Amino acid sequence: MAENEVSKTLTYVDEIPATLTLKVPTQTSLKLCLAAFKPLQNTKIDVEVAEGGAFEGAFADFSPSQYTFTLNVYLKGSRSSCDWHLAAIADKKDNKRYDTSVYHEKEESLGLMSNYGIAEGGSKLVFAGISEIEKGARKTHTRQVAKIIVFDPKASGQASPILKIGENDVEASHAAVVGRLSEEHLFYLESRGVDEAMAKRLITLGYLKPIEQRFADSKLQTKIDEAIEGGITHD
Amino acid sequence: MSKLSIKNLHVAVKGKEILRGVDLEVSEGETLALLGPNGHGKSTLLAAIMGNPAYQVTSGAIMFDGQDVLALSPDKRSKAGLFLAMQYPSEIPGLNSADFLKAAMNAHADKPLSLFQFYNRLQSAYEAMGIPFEMSKRNLNEGFSGGEKKRNEMLQMKLLQPKIALLDEIDSGLDVDAMGIVAKEIGDEQVRGAGFLVVSHYARLYNMIKPTRAAILINGRVAVNGGVDLIQKVDSQGYEWIKTELGIPVEKENDDAMNSVSIGACATRVAVNHGGK
Repeated sequence: MAENEVSKTLTYVDEIPATLTLKVPTQTSLKLCLAAFKPLQNTKIDVEVAEGGAFEGAFADFSPSQYTFTLNVYLKGSRSSCDWHLAAIADKKDNKRYDTSVYHEKEESLGLMSNYGIAEGGSKLVFAGISEIEKGARKTHTRQVAKIIVFDPKASGQASPILKIGENDVEASHAAVVGRLSEEHLFYLESRGVDEAMAKRLITLGYLKPIEQRFADSKLQTKIDEAIEGGITHD
Repeated sequence: MSKLSIKNLHVAVKGKEILRGVDLEVSEGETLALLGPNGHGKSTLLAAIMGNPAYQVTSGAIMFDGQDVLALSPDKRSKAGLFLAMQYPSEIPGLNSADFLKAAMNAHADKPLSLFQFYNRLQSAYEAMGIPFEMSKRNLNEGFSGGEKKRNEMLQMKLLQPKIALLDEIDSGLDVDAMGIVAKEIGDEQVRGAGFLVVSHYARLYNMIKPTRAAILINGRVAVNGGVDLIQKVDSQGYEWIKTELGIPVEKENDDAMNSVSIGACATRVAVNHGGK
């Protein structure tokens, strides 16, 4: 792959625009860093990636929101790529839906959509979205990961990534997990000396902490770290 | 020497009385084989000793080292030196094995282990149990085969060094090699001085770990206490002789579904609101 000539980073903390259209020109890269700690409205982001371009996105969402976040990444050029990572907590009455889709239009494009979440309280958390490989987009790789752990009986989670494949010579995979931490699970862990609070802490850190390394700003990293700790200890 | 003592224990599951007055003692340094037909309360007894909330103790007492075990939460029972190797170990979503083992070991230690100490102990335990160290990076029991789960139980016993270990059908689902590994680990802990309460349907495991005593649980009570010759007798004759020799009718197992399993459609995974308040 050719060296990218231009690389650019866009960061939004809380003030995320309701609509955003981004273009990644040929042989350049764009990094989009999103972090939210306050309520959000519906948000829609469209990204077009030209030949050899690279889109990288990270979203740490700790906002108390009832909203839908939509991301569409169009891999318009050959050898273009998308690398997306989300870490989200839904708590109390939050109702959060994430539709993260990637459309492979040309050959040898690369798409990763990775979404991790924790649902607590009476919240609802949904991970959806499509990874589509259009006819002619040979030798593309696409992967969708959607993982949710539900901590409270009143909370719910749904992970339903969809793969649409119109070409044969491709690699496509998806992993979807929604796990509920049940009384039986907790008994198992407690029987080894690990109490409920510690068990939830280990799971939350395992799911959410990796997002931190995607933010270069150390102050923002600290704020995300505090939000993760807050999500663990608030109850 | 620590002693686990159970007196007149009554336990109900979903309102149905399973244990109806169990009296039993196990001390450090001895290995008690607990026999009995399916459905007569062996697993229930082990689960109740460890504090599984699905099993309600309606009367009776469990004492360990002078402590009232029934007053302790399961994590405190573990820290007191009890360990239960489960028949069906839970798969824990999202929980990394190594993170979990470290938390469990630290919960048992006076002061937190250094990273160096932890990895040394972890690596040698994985090696001893014949489990690839790579598996420490996977989620706890998630996607493990039946045999891997059982060896993973023994791995945890090795790391936590209990005073009394309760083993619930640790030999089910094991091939010959894995059986040897598990028996060796039990032997190592016996040498260390640990006590065991072992439930198994097969004389094969018992032949390898050499119990010191045996007891037979019938109709929710200990019907027979005796020597290890009971193991061979049950292995060759089953339990019919209990009725003819002791005059105790053996109740038929009530074949309730033990595990409800749900499997999701392809990639869609949903955890719905269970309607809790």
